Amino acid sequence: MSILPFLRLRCTSAAIAVSLACTLAQADPLSVTALQRDGKPLAGAVVTVEAESPGQAAPHPEHATMDQVDLAFVPDVLVVPVHSTVQFPNSDAISHQVYSFSSARRFQLPLYRGKPYPPVTFDQPGIITLGCNIHDNMLAYIVVTTANWFGRTDSHGKWTMPHLPAGRFRVRLWHPLLNESADIERLVEGGSEGSLEIRLSRNLRPAPLTGRPHSWDY
Amino acid sequence: MGLLKHALGLTALLISARTQATDWELSLDMRAVSSNGRESFLDNGQGKLRFDEDHQGIRLGRLRAALDQPLGEVLSAHIEASAWDDDDKNPIDLTEAYLEYRPYPRAGFRSRMRLGAFYPPMSLENRAIGWETPYTITPSAISSWIGEEIRTIGIEGQVDWLGTRLGHSFDLQLTAAIFGWNDPAGTMLATHGFALHDRQTTLFGRVGAPQPDPEFAKKELFHEIDDRPGYYVGAQARYLDRAVLNLLHYDNRADPTAQSREIRDFAWLTKFDAAALRIETGNGWTAILQALVGDTYIAPGSFWLEWEFDSRSLLLAKRMGAHMVSARYDEFNVLFRDDPALPGSEDGHAWALAYTFDPGTQWRFALEWLQVDSTVPQRVVQLGETAFASETKVEISARYSLAGSF
Repeated sequence: MSILPFLRLRCTSAAIAVSLACTLAQADPLSVTALQRDGKPLAGAVVTVEAESPGQAAPHPEHATMDQVDLAFVPDVLVVPVHSTVQFPNSDAISHQVYSFSSARRFQLPLYRGKPYPPVTFDQPGIITLGCNIHDNMLAYIVVTTANWFGRTDSHGKWTMPHLPAGRFRVRLWHPLLNESADIERLVEGGSEGSLEIRLSRNLRPAPLTGRPHSWDY
Repeated sequence: MGLLKHALGLTALLISARTQATDWELSLDMRAVSSNGRESFLDNGQGKLRFDEDHQGIRLGRLRAALDQPLGEVLSAHIEASAWDDDDKNPIDLTEAYLEYRPYPRAGFRSRMRLGAFYPPMSLENRAIGWETPYTITPSAISSWIGEEIRTIGIEGQVDWLGTRLGHSFDLQLTAAIFGWNDPAGTMLATHGFALHDRQTTLFGRVGAPQPDPEFAKKELFHEIDDRPGYYVGAQARYLDRAVLNLLHYDNRADPTAQSREIRDFAWLTKFDAAALRIETGNGWTAILQALVGDTYIAPGSFWLEWEFDSRSLLLAKRMGAHMVSARYDEFNVLFRDDPALPGSEDGHAWALAYTFDPGTQWRFALEWLQVDSTVPQRVVQLGETAFASETKVEISARYSLAGSF
């Protein structure tokens, strides 16, 4: 699934509302390509781009949704700016019990169906691991970021930022199946067209199994 | 069964005060069977199959009803009832009934507690609802025996370390339980050895038809005879959702000199160790390796009688969407320690091939071929049959399930 239109929209609206960085500065695209150790594209990786020096507008908090469909969280990874709120509807016919004990945001939503609870606010940056206390195979992540720009790589492992202004930026890459020994970070200079290729040094962990009938209790 | 009755009473009370919807499941599993099996152990024979030569054609596989009632945030009640139509003592009866306490995880750990009657966390094969295996119609010799003779009627505690929620690749679990009302466990191994069947003995029922001789044991498994609780301890390690290793040590701590007039049986001192490993790959393959080794004793008068038992099985399955093909090999042995040539010993092995079609709707279909080759000296003494038997069964299952809440 391409997220490029969404990102373009984000950059444009942020520019109009706050900084005009996207339209006024000498800005050029930044293209990030994430590759697995064997050279295959890494789809769905979270890319964040954060200015090293102040002056860039922080993204606006969002009202996002993490649904529960067919005994799985949808999407599997949600990236939101810090101070965003996330709604956790349950679209399944059976009850779920959502929890996080991640240090960035601890919360629990008692057994429910439908949409009985108000959204949860995420005020601290970090990676929040979500689980269901009834169905241990349900697993998802919310990445709460202070980065100025962010997105996920497409099926070609690619994420493009249409306008990276001049300055120095820290690019971070994260994926739930990463097996690297350290966080993946790169410094880039804005103001000229650039492309960044990040190749993992270790194999990914195996992806969660899919497609098993729900009559299996695990 | 006192504790269980209290637990059921408590459950009924709590359900009557319920504030959340009750989830229910109902399923009917019909079979078409072709079998050349010897007279089934369910009919007091020495056949290894549920459906023998005299029980072919259209049969009831299982009629199952289950209720799941949340009681507040972290407590819930589960009840499983089934009808099997195998000359049972009760036409419909419970297989499991328990309260589960499942608080929220904290700092990577979660505790769980179950109170009532339930299966120990042992079979990696019987992972489907209703303690069924999704791979075949008939579970392995080990799981068949667990379903026949073993049930925890007591309290079980578990602690999970949820490593996968902390960025690691592993989860760990420790289990401990104290139970009663399982003193006869082992009596069926000594009577007919292992069998391969999908029957689960019900909590208030018995194994199959009544004994023809009123002096014989009643084949009721869930009784407390010596007022000594048993225990099990177990550990489980998981690698993501790809591999599970399960270990369990079980000891019902029965007093083998104790007897029950009510069920005309002994307290069988039964201990076993079980290990199971399940590996699943991203392209649909599953391998399940199971092993069980143990012994059971009774001490009538001045005698001390001991039976050793062990079994192993390997299952390979390949899932292609809604279709799955499985193959399993089982071997099993019972050794009557006093004299291996005497009735009570046996050895055998079994092959199973199965195809299942589970499109994720209300229907599930399965086709199974099962062959059990066994040498049972008891056949000669008790029935005048040959000790060796090769029993084959082909079975089709069509199961229709409904679920909802009220």
